Amino acid sequence: MESSRHTTNLAVAVVVSLLGLAVLFPFFWMVRSSLMSNIEIYRYPPLLIPKNWRFINYAVTLQTFPFARYILNTMTIAVPSIIGVLLTSSLAAYAFARLDFPLKKLWFTLVIGSMLMPGAVTIIPIFIAWSSVGLGNGYTALIVPAFLGGGAFNIFLVRQFLMTVPRDLDEAALIDGAGHGRILFQILAPLIRPVLISVGLFTFILYWNDILGPLIYISRTEQNTISQGLANFKSGFGTDWKAIMAACCMAVMPPVAIYFLGQKYFIEGIVLSGLKT
Amino acid sequence: MKRRRNARTALVAYAYLAPALLGLFFLTIFPILGVIAISLTNWSGLEAPTFIGLGNYLRIFTTDFYFAHSVAATLYFALGAVISGIIYSFSVALMLNKNVPGRGFWRSVFFLPYIVPSIGSSIVWSWMYEANFGVFNFVLRMLKVGRLQWLQDERLATPSIIVMAVWGCGSMIVIFLAGLQNVPKSYLEAVEIDGGNAWHKFRHITIPMMTPIIFFNFLMSMISNLQIFVPAYALTQGGPSDSTLYMVYLMYREGFMRNNFGHASALSLIFFIFIAALTAIFFATTRRWIYYAGE
Repeated sequence: MESSRHTTNLAVAVVVSLLGLAVLFPFFWMVRSSLMSNIEIYRYPPLLIPKNWRFINYAVTLQTFPFARYILNTMTIAVPSIIGVLLTSSLAAYAFARLDFPLKKLWFTLVIGSMLMPGAVTIIPIFIAWSSVGLGNGYTALIVPAFLGGGAFNIFLVRQFLMTVPRDLDEAALIDGAGHGRILFQILAPLIRPVLISVGLFTFILYWNDILGPLIYISRTEQNTISQGLANFKSGFGTDWKAIMAACCMAVMPPVAIYFLGQKYFIEGIVLSGLKT
Repeated sequence: MKRRRNARTALVAYAYLAPALLGLFFLTIFPILGVIAISLTNWSGLEAPTFIGLGNYLRIFTTDFYFAHSVAATLYFALGAVISGIIYSFSVALMLNKNVPGRGFWRSVFFLPYIVPSIGSSIVWSWMYEANFGVFNFVLRMLKVGRLQWLQDERLATPSIIVMAVWGCGSMIVIFLAGLQNVPKSYLEAVEIDGGNAWHKFRHITIPMMTPIIFFNFLMSMISNLQIFVPAYALTQGGPSDSTLYMVYLMYREGFMRNNFGHASALSLIFFIFIAALTAIFFATTRRWIYYAGE
């Protein structure tokens, strides 16, 4: 009995490792291809690892792929958006978690229900509305929505976390005469830091990875975001795969680095969103 | 006194909710009404819209063969991606739930594709699928099997994109794994005491306890996969032979590449009703198969 359990565990470990390596394979293939010469990359039978690592591919790619400019443009959208999401989703979450007011149930249902609303449906009227006030081309239309509640999902996440904090603290503060602003920002915010970090990190990833938004609202090349820049680079240099892979590596690296730095918060954020429903 | 305090609290609450409620109205409710209104017009966005009643809908359901292709492609992709994704992520989660060495490390690995920009992963996969020098055809060549055209083959394009989508569904693994860790050990031990084996434990404890999480993952993954866009935009442009003409890409093409805002809005509204109906049907079945603890 014990030994058969031992062999199943070993088999599971082997399968998990093989599957895990398969999941990592595209990353490996991307890096490996980005460091090859044309002769190596098209060779059959294929080389697993380049003979000489051509880091010069990156220098060449950077001449037509202005990575630093793309980072700057993307951060111009992402940084204010992260602030907007954190601020307005916490405010709404606090109201839903801690305050009593008329129609609370109705608004909560509507806000949470809008989570099921596929975002792609409303892009046309929203674009037309922005265009009609002259803001159809630029960053404004991409940043402002972050200040309008920060997304139902984030409101829900912060609220769920707030519900786990005992009310004694804020009730004591309320009796001492503290306002709701002080309770939220000075007493509760430090306690719900983990969920705020999760929301902030996910928001960064969302804006770094977004392509549909920039495609609609950013037409000038010098304003392009990283995803847009990468898509354009691919359509412009269709067959220079070593350069395209180098550009992909650069675009993929920042989210991967941030993921490994803040892994705990990513996992906790995902778990919280999935289990508390 | 108490009444005044309640009124004050309500005021504060509405002040705090104001941004979210503005968002609810200006980003969801009004735009839905806007979609309905625009869908009744012929509008290029430059001159004034002309009212044409249900003309766009008539065209979509009678002469516009793109629409039918698009519904078929989208359903094929979404069903394929959701079902394979659930099976893949649930199996991986079950394996990670055993005491495998390096469990935390592998969990991070499986999650990793989820945070990669979809444009980046699409391009990397298209390089692996490439017909002449892609790694998949290299392998087929070494096995002495003929080459496949992957993304250029209308029968293989959507299945190839489904594989990419399954690779990227690591968040479901994390959710399933957390759920599995919440299944009470005492229940599983009770089955053992009654002489049940691993299958009994899985079938009668694990699966019922996990149904709410399976439901959540299924629903969320359905809604997001129905909105597939990036691979169609970046790799296949809806082709070959409309086999990847997914609905959001068709909407984008009509609206933003051809400036047919009226037609694109009609597509959006149909798409919305389509997803809402699927969601409603799905919710209606929940009573039959979801187990809620304590009810």
